[in-house]
Amino acid sequence: MKLTESAADTQGTIISVGGDDHFMNRITSIGITEGTPFQTVRNDKKMPVLIYLRETLISLNMADAEKIEVNVR
Amino acid sequence: MTGSIALLGQPNSGKSTIYNNLTGARQHVGNWAGKTVEKNEGTYTYNGTKYTVTDLPGSYGLSGNSDEEIITTDFIRSGQSALTVVLVDASQLERSMFMLAEFARLDKPAVLVLNMIDVAQGIGKTVDADALSKKLGIPVLPFNATDTKDYDKLKKLIADELKAPHKLTAVMPAEHNDIKADSQAKFDWVSSLLSDVTKSGNAVYKMSKFDRVLTRPILGKFICIGVVLLAFFVAMFIMAPFMSIGKMIPITLHDPIDDLLTGWNVHPWIASIFSTMLPNVLFFVISMASFVFGVHIVFGFLEETGFLARAAYQFDGLLSKLGLQGKAICPMLMGCGCTIGGACGTRVMDNWGQRMLAMSIVWAIPCGSIWSIIPVISGMFFTWKQTLLVLAGILVYVVITMIIVSKLFSKKLAPVETRSGMIMELPPYHKAHWKHIIKEAFFKAWDIFKRAFGTVTLVSIIFYVLSFSKDGNVEHSLLYRVGTLIEPVTRFFGMGWQTFMAFVSGAFAKEAVLGTLNAVFMENNSLIDAAFFAKTAKADTEMLGTAMKAVVSPAEALAFMFATTFNIPCVMALSTTYKESHSLKWTAKVALFYICNALLLSCVVYHVAKLFM
Repeated sequence: MKLTESAADTQGTIISVGGDDHFMNRITSIGITEGTPFQTVRNDKKMPVLIYLRETLISLNMADAEKIEVNVR
Repeated sequence: MTGSIALLGQPNSGKSTIYNNLTGARQHVGNWAGKTVEKNEGTYTYNGTKYTVTDLPGSYGLSGNSDEEIITTDFIRSGQSALTVVLVDASQLERSMFMLAEFARLDKPAVLVLNMIDVAQGIGKTVDADALSKKLGIPVLPFNATDTKDYDKLKKLIADELKAPHKLTAVMPAEHNDIKADSQAKFDWVSSLLSDVTKSGNAVYKMSKFDRVLTRPILGKFICIGVVLLAFFVAMFIMAPFMSIGKMIPITLHDPIDDLLTGWNVHPWIASIFSTMLPNVLFFVISMASFVFGVHIVFGFLEETGFLARAAYQFDGLLSKLGLQGKAICPMLMGCGCTIGGACGTRVMDNWGQRMLAMSIVWAIPCGSIWSIIPVISGMFFTWKQTLLVLAGILVYVVITMIIVSKLFSKKLAPVETRSGMIMELPPYHKAHWKHIIKEAFFKAWDIFKRAFGTVTLVSIIFYVLSFSKDGNVEHSLLYRVGTLIEPVTRFFGMGWQTFMAFVSGAFAKEAVLGTLNAVFMENNSLIDAAFFAKTAKADTEMLGTAMKAVVSPAEALAFMFATTFNIPCVMALSTTYKESHSLKWTAKVALFYICNALLLSCVVYHVAKLFM
């Protein structure tokens, strides 16, 4: 599923990250890489998605979160 | 003896706090050759040796193609600094160590500073610095930026390392051409290093109650706005003592200086420059600087504690419609108080194009001075209900201007493909470092004070010359002659020569508008005295209103108010935008847009209003 579809308070793993080089550089340098465990903290309508990953609370805008595929437990 | 070091770290690693505490006031701000990125250099002395510190631009990595990352990589490669101090956030060690992995391939001497070790301990995390140091081959220093003793340790470590530097000896992360694989390898490298040197606290994240409320979609936005309103209130409170001292200057200095100069037989025209103009300029500049001081203290506090990151999260969706990202909320809010503060505040944004775009959008936000003059002028012509309509109309056009600016400039400044959407961390709440905040606010205010004093004095002298007439009658001044000469043109835009002159003076400083109106409409008023005394003594608005109404139609008044509000904010905002953007071309472009926008708006408002009034 897409990260934007994950519900709050679920845990899972990042499956794949898509996008151009520029985006890939930004997203991976903040720690969002394939295989990383994460937790969706908040996912409200029309708001950025809040995830907790590598000990960090990260906010991703919706357009970016669309490009991230995840597995949830 | 001299030594040079560079500070490298991700945003929120506490780099600027450490830089400011190391170097204090001995800082120099310049530009990286050929780039719009700011170069910060400072010095400090330790045990008789002078050290130069280069604060490298903050970025999350070094592999990207942004100006900041290229500059950083080139600078470290060049070896201009003998040692790189790599800062990581100990409370988010795994993620922030990515920077060290990026740095590793440059193969240069370094020390690692585990900043925010206090925060890490607070969440039950431990780091074995010695074991990590052994694995890496470079010294590792646990650091608490609020503890002054830690700075001594850091300075000593730097001194020792410059004598006998260490490079990373740990096996480098494997290099890949594919960005994904490359980043993955770096994080694997970090994980293997940290595997047996750290112990983490909880694996499951539990949001604090406060954050739970603050991140709610609607309630959170209201809380953010409420906190910011409170912040402005506190800023006013902070600036009040400076203002009351500033206010005394023209009142106390006028008579003694006037007496003294008259006693020396100085011509009254010259004497009034020193007795009236300069003390008023000083007062004006002090009030400007004290406002910048107050605004920077409260916003510095909100930023350091981590509150502004939450506000950025809240307003990201709204601002992305303008081509900006959530972080722009901070300068935009500061702009409600003072455009100069807003332009400075764009520093929180990491991309030059977006910063420039944010500054040009901040210009559209009416500053505190506009809110103080428009109701006064409107009150002369309209009932209070109509005045509320005028204010509402202004607010609507603020949004329209923002949209036009964004449509016009965002393609060049923030092309969709480079638009860094908001990928940002919400740092854990920190205690504020008051000393650091006050120091920084003071530097900002002092910088504004120095620049504004020169600029405002120059503008005032030009104004003085233009408005000068031998007998004090406005109609014998250059201003009158030029004004009436171009009146046929300004009429087309809806303004007579008097309101047009007030409009022009508003481009220098919004505070000058009432004074200018006072001078051009009231008889027997020396323009210069009226313009300046209006700031200290309240102009008699009732008399001014009667005088204005005799000459100015309500349609013209309406056009004038809109034109003044949406013209370029003021000379200092212009100069600050140039200083912050380092681009004369873009500052001029934006200024030109605002002048045209104001004149066209005035034209439309006037001709439409005439149909109804």
